[in-house]
Amino acid sequence: MKTIPPACPEPEFGRKYWRGLDQLAETPEFRHWLEREFPQGAGEFTDPVSRRNFVQIMSASFLLAGVGLGATGCRRPVEKLEPFGKQPDDYVYGTSRYYATSMPTRGGAVPLVARSYDGRPVKLEGNPHHPDSNGGTDRWAQAAILNLYDPDRSRHFYSGGTTTSIESAIDFLSGFSKKAQANGGEGLAFLIESNNSPSRSRLQQLISSRLPKARWFLHEAIDTDIHRRAASQAFGESVQPRFKFEAAKVIVSLDCDFIGSEEESHNHIRRFTQGRKMEKAGDSMSRLYIVEALMSLTGVNADHRLRLPASAVGQIASALMAEVTGSVNAVGLPSGVKPAWVAECAKDLLANKGASLVVAGHRQPLEVHLLAHALNAALGNLGKTIEFIPAPDFREAGIVELAAALNAGQVNTLVILGANPGYTAPVDLDWSKTQRKAKTVIRLGYYEDETFADCDWHIPLAHFLESWGDVRTSDGTLVPVQPLIAPLFSGWTELDLLARIAGETVTSPYEIVRATFGKLVSGDVELAWRKFLYSGYLENSAAQPVEVRLDRSQVDKALSGVAVVAVGKEKLEVVFHRDHSVDDGRYGNNGWLHELPDPVTKLVWDNAVLVSRKTAVELGVKNNDIVKIELGGRSVHGPVFIQPGMADFTLGLALGYGREKSGRVGKGIGFNTYALRTAAAQNITVGAGVAKTGGVFELVSTQTHWSMEGRPIIREANLEQFEAHPDFAKSMNAEMPPASGPFYPSPFDDLKKTGHHQWGMSIDLNSCVGCSACMVACQSENNVPIVGKDQVNRGRDMHWIRIDRYYSGDPSKEKFLDTFKVDEKQQFEEWIDDVQVVTQPMLCQHCESAPCENVCPVNATVHDQEGLNLMVYNRCVGTRYCSNNCPYKVRRYNYLDYNKRPLQELKGPFYNNALTHKTDGEWDLLRWWRDPNSGMRTSDEWDLIKMLKNPDVTVRMRGVMEKCTFCVQRIQQAEIAQKVKARDTGDILVPDGAASKEPAALKTACQQACPAGAIVFGNIADPESRVSKLKAQQRDYSVLDFLLTKPRTTYLAKVRNPNPKMPDYTESPLSLEEYTKKMGSPFEPHGEAEGAAHAAEKGKL
Amino acid sequence: MASTDKTMAVPETPAELERIPLVSNQRSIGWISDQVCAIMEGKLPMWWWAAFIPSLMLLCLLGTMLVYQVTTGVGVWGNRHPVMWGWDIINFVWWIGIGHAGTLISAILFLLRQKWRTAVNRASEAMTIFAVMCAGIYPALHVGRVWYDWWLFPIPNSNGIWPQFRSPLMWDVFAVSTYFTVSVLFWYMGLIPDLAVMRDRCTTKVRQFFYGLFSLGWTGSNRHWRNYEKAYLILAGVSTPLVLSVHSIVSLDFAVSQLPGWHTTIFPPYFVAGAVFSGFGMVLTLLVPLRSMFKLEDVITMRHIDIMCKVTLATGSIVGYAYGMEFFIAWYSGNPSEQFHFLNRAFGPYQWGWIMMMSCNTLVPQLFWFKKFRQNLKYVFIISILVNIGMWFERFVIIVIGLHRDFLPSNWAYFKPTWVDICTFLGTFGLFFTLFLLFLRFLPMIAISEVKGVTPQADPHHPLGGAKPKHNGH
Repeated sequence: MKTIPPACPEPEFGRKYWRGLDQLAETPEFRHWLEREFPQGAGEFTDPVSRRNFVQIMSASFLLAGVGLGATGCRRPVEKLEPFGKQPDDYVYGTSRYYATSMPTRGGAVPLVARSYDGRPVKLEGNPHHPDSNGGTDRWAQAAILNLYDPDRSRHFYSGGTTTSIESAIDFLSGFSKKAQANGGEGLAFLIESNNSPSRSRLQQLISSRLPKARWFLHEAIDTDIHRRAASQAFGESVQPRFKFEAAKVIVSLDCDFIGSEEESHNHIRRFTQGRKMEKAGDSMSRLYIVEALMSLTGVNADHRLRLPASAVGQIASALMAEVTGSVNAVGLPSGVKPAWVAECAKDLLANKGASLVVAGHRQPLEVHLLAHALNAALGNLGKTIEFIPAPDFREAGIVELAAALNAGQVNTLVILGANPGYTAPVDLDWSKTQRKAKTVIRLGYYEDETFADCDWHIPLAHFLESWGDVRTSDGTLVPVQPLIAPLFSGWTELDLLARIAGETVTSPYEIVRATFGKLVSGDVELAWRKFLYSGYLENSAAQPVEVRLDRSQVDKALSGVAVVAVGKEKLEVVFHRDHSVDDGRYGNNGWLHELPDPVTKLVWDNAVLVSRKTAVELGVKNNDIVKIELGGRSVHGPVFIQPGMADFTLGLALGYGREKSGRVGKGIGFNTYALRTAAAQNITVGAGVAKTGGVFELVSTQTHWSMEGRPIIREANLEQFEAHPDFAKSMNAEMPPASGPFYPSPFDDLKKTGHHQWGMSIDLNSCVGCSACMVACQSENNVPIVGKDQVNRGRDMHWIRIDRYYSGDPSKEKFLDTFKVDEKQQFEEWIDDVQVVTQPMLCQHCESAPCENVCPVNATVHDQEGLNLMVYNRCVGTRYCSNNCPYKVRRYNYLDYNKRPLQELKGPFYNNALTHKTDGEWDLLRWWRDPNSGMRTSDEWDLIKMLKNPDVTVRMRGVMEKCTFCVQRIQQAEIAQKVKARDTGDILVPDGAASKEPAALKTACQQACPAGAIVFGNIADPESRVSKLKAQQRDYSVLDFLLTKPRTTYLAKVRNPNPKMPDYTESPLSLEEYTKKMGSPFEPHGEAEGAAHAAEKGKL
Repeated sequence: MASTDKTMAVPETPAELERIPLVSNQRSIGWISDQVCAIMEGKLPMWWWAAFIPSLMLLCLLGTMLVYQVTTGVGVWGNRHPVMWGWDIINFVWWIGIGHAGTLISAILFLLRQKWRTAVNRASEAMTIFAVMCAGIYPALHVGRVWYDWWLFPIPNSNGIWPQFRSPLMWDVFAVSTYFTVSVLFWYMGLIPDLAVMRDRCTTKVRQFFYGLFSLGWTGSNRHWRNYEKAYLILAGVSTPLVLSVHSIVSLDFAVSQLPGWHTTIFPPYFVAGAVFSGFGMVLTLLVPLRSMFKLEDVITMRHIDIMCKVTLATGSIVGYAYGMEFFIAWYSGNPSEQFHFLNRAFGPYQWGWIMMMSCNTLVPQLFWFKKFRQNLKYVFIISILVNIGMWFERFVIIVIGLHRDFLPSNWAYFKPTWVDICTFLGTFGLFFTLFLLFLRFLPMIAISEVKGVTPQADPHHPLGGAKPKHNGH
């Protein structure tokens, strides 16, 4: 093979070195010579991330990382592309380092601690030091790292559709900036996304002052800014509401899915579950009422749930208002709603004045928000359970105004920062054509997506892990965005681009951010800066809440605005909702998120037309039937999925699917619901028609059976029941077989508990809301592969931790033989109309008497002295017996080489193998012969994907069983670290990670990510550890206790807090009623006591 | 009977009580040799080719499927979470079960002095060996990393790794490999005198060489016969416990686990009965057509068929009893998981599998109570095939229904086989029939010397028998 010349990217600053004067001149002759001399390397010269110069990027990022914590702050040292000849100070091979950074979101940021290994970020975790965080994150923050290594992200600068160099882009922009300054920005328009960055707004102001005629437009497909707009209107000043769920005893949600699809859901989950956690019987907990159309995660966790079309929620709000203020409800209740529901709910609110909270969801119109504020004001909640912080009044107009400006020919140059309007713009704007009306479109984009084709200049956007930036979290605290790695594809940040357009001489984002920071702090800026970067937030920078006064006139206006809309079979309601996985489509190429089952539907790799059972019956459709939805003269086709608990005559349409131009992962998944979404009806609209097409499309769900069948798997009781019978969870234990020793005692049994630590886990089902962040965290930490839709359909999903979700309905509606029916028939059952939902994280239970261990013929799964059930991948031959014998079925098997196969090779019925496949133009068998570790992934994909892997965890090959290890790599690191620290003191016990805020403290990945703090892991040999305390609680129980597997993972039973006066009150949770029907009530004496009673009765006879 | 003739103390046996001879039509010893050897010496019949060529093609299919599976992964099969064992283990247990009749016939019936066994034992033993070979493919190749199969054997090695002897899969390795080895030895042992017959009769050098080689210098001397009979008896004694142990141990793969429907102490005897049941089913399936194709009706007589039908009826009834007992125990134990499992068998999504099993295994064989069915070869043939189908479904019911709905309903799923599952299974028939047809062509399918020993003429007191040179042409 010819030697490929190392590519030589031009440094931006500092000294430049040339190979020759020709190169300096960058003459055509030089390029020609280069291509002739090194034909193989010629392409690489322009491709900034070939394998070879990747090493250089890596070594650069070492240095970068090295200074992240250090003295000088982190410049973007592109000029320091040096081989790793000398070990940087402070660097130890094989140890990972942690850097504070943050992920910007629409309304704020998720403060993060990124784990970096050999200069590449491998895992993101929440920053527990941040004043408004417990270290928990959401699924998107956990999955964001996959986007960094996405092989399909934009890698090149484009001009007029062809690749160009970064220099020509710089030249173009400097020329453009000069021209714009000359005419004051005439005809210049910016399209931006929501962002809370002080530096960006500083640059925006700078541009506005230099180019006063430039116009700004803001586009977010999912508009969560309504919270601010509504509060500002209600209170007459620009404020952002912040919900303090932890302080509320009674919460009423008006179609507000604050646990799932609202912005900042992880913070809401933390606050909400804080009010739901209980230590013992007698503790109080909050109560949640919800009125909603879709079955949302918030609905799953509600104590009372009223399913109604989303357009009828306003009526409930106005009825509540009437009840609370004692006025007359002008609009009346929607049909079918019992007046008692609203009345009792209002009474409960009134009984908890100052400790109640009414929240309205972002999909609801302004009136509902205003009514919610009015209710909070009437209940004296302002400042107590809801706070308001000053919010900048965005002056930007929206995309509709931009379209108008474009159509009027007012825009010469359009600069798009990040957004993908080609996909997300309202369909009636006909965006692609409209955008073309600008003479020049400059776009900073992460993907070469739907918008890409209509742009003149395309600049690759840097990932936030490659960027310098700053951002304010939702509470106003300033957090840094620190790069963990040099931009892999020389992408730019928004700051880069804006600075260049502004004509700044300093365009380095680092300098910009540093300058902004300098203006925000007083005193020793350098010290403050270092501390800022080190801790990941600026202390005491949170916004101070302001006192607000309700503007009554706005409320009256809102009340008059509540309309009564009838929905029905012919006039169906459509709810466009934010998808749990892909958001508005921005994570459309993220395989982890596609494979993350929706927490409620459990569907993967698709969106669906969500309907209720009754709607489906009326429309004559069933699951998987493709229907045509007609709305306002437009139509889309999509498969039906019957969702228990949905409001009748409502269609739930998730946004973000049906991408035409996405990457290898996201292309052609689901159907595009934006095609129905107009500027006027972005969230809820009535008047859709549905027609069956006769086609069928297979939707894939990870859980096909919906009912728990009355088994005591998730144990729950109502609050009063728990108070009366604090040990109800244990009394649901099955009758134990008589105690006897094993027939054949294992000689290893004695060794089992000799370790200093005994690891165990406790999962609080009262806190777990089912958000699934743990699943992605585990996937990221443990190198769990994705397998694609077809494989999930074949039951081969690999998640080590999954969230089981069960529905329970009215047990009297269930017939004996229903249990045995095929799972597909559940969709027709009446009991699914009104269901209660429970969720449970299920992972390896690390049984002390593990059934998997004794059936393995090759000793591949064994127990260690610390109580871990270990899986020895090297030893596993793959008989799969362990999985068959695992009662929890938490083991996962590599049926195919999931790590080495690209997604398109994971679709049956025929799978390619080394004999039938070519990769990079070469026969796989030959590749295998040369390198048995070569797979079927092309090198451009492989090079990036392998950087993602956690080096502490084996990447499993095919034919091997795998499962949750309790993050054994973290345990080992913590133990080693503690031993090093202990030296000769003998203090080798690892401190309890659950109580520690240190990033390196021992926590499992799922525990770390859990915003609810529902998962607690630790040493159960230490009676003072948090996990021991939890296990000692009354609600503690183990799943399938009767098998005597003695799991180390136990659960804290769920407690519901329904209001006994409500019309939908049931004395027990429905799942407990199911259980009682089959097994008898856990509150009555059974077992020995029952036997004694029988004996007494017999005696009488 | 003349009433006056009181001195004639021994009355003549009434005709209906007359024992039907094991070789009918008073066929001579020479006829037996000629008739059996003709299969190997004569021209190959067309049907042989018609059967052999498709079998060979199926064998090639098997090879292709196995190469495909090993190079690609177990994922080419339908196995899934939670049904981690699918057609692989179903077919393994099914073939192993079929492989039970041969050794039972040759060993246990030998010890029990059941002389009728001589007509069918050779072919049944061959069937056993080939069935075990088909079975062995599955456990060897169903694992994820086939190239590490040797880790299941206790081979001292530098890795310091050792099998786990508590695992039933480990016991399987020993049980199946021992059974296969002893069955092959036993079969070969019985073949030696017949191979010598072939050697003495053959006309080509090649045949002479090979038959000569494998007949180990057999001359038929008294000393040879003496040693032979003793060795045969010892091997029969060794084989007898194996017949019972193999399927008992295979059943422990299930019984040792804690899964409802698997975790049952009734499994070992019930599996053995089921194996004998399916084994006899397969013997009947093979011999009913063969006896007429090779004109062996006088050797494999209707009486043989009748006896085998009765064995099928008996073992089928035991299996039926076991099915009933499983339901009873599930109810009687009061264990909700067990109860659910058995109701799910009968009413769940795989109800059709359970109905197939129940009807083919418990109802259909009951027809053998009636002589009419035992004596009608068409019925016997059809029923024997139904028995084999039923027994396949029994394994399907145990494995798939046991796994598809267990403790946590969130895991419940529906298993479907893939085309590779089906083709691999068809391929094992290719292997089986290719080997069996080759056996028919190259080895005596009837134990010539043993059948001769049970002919009426072999009895020295028989009018036509004994060492009376004038009656004996040879």
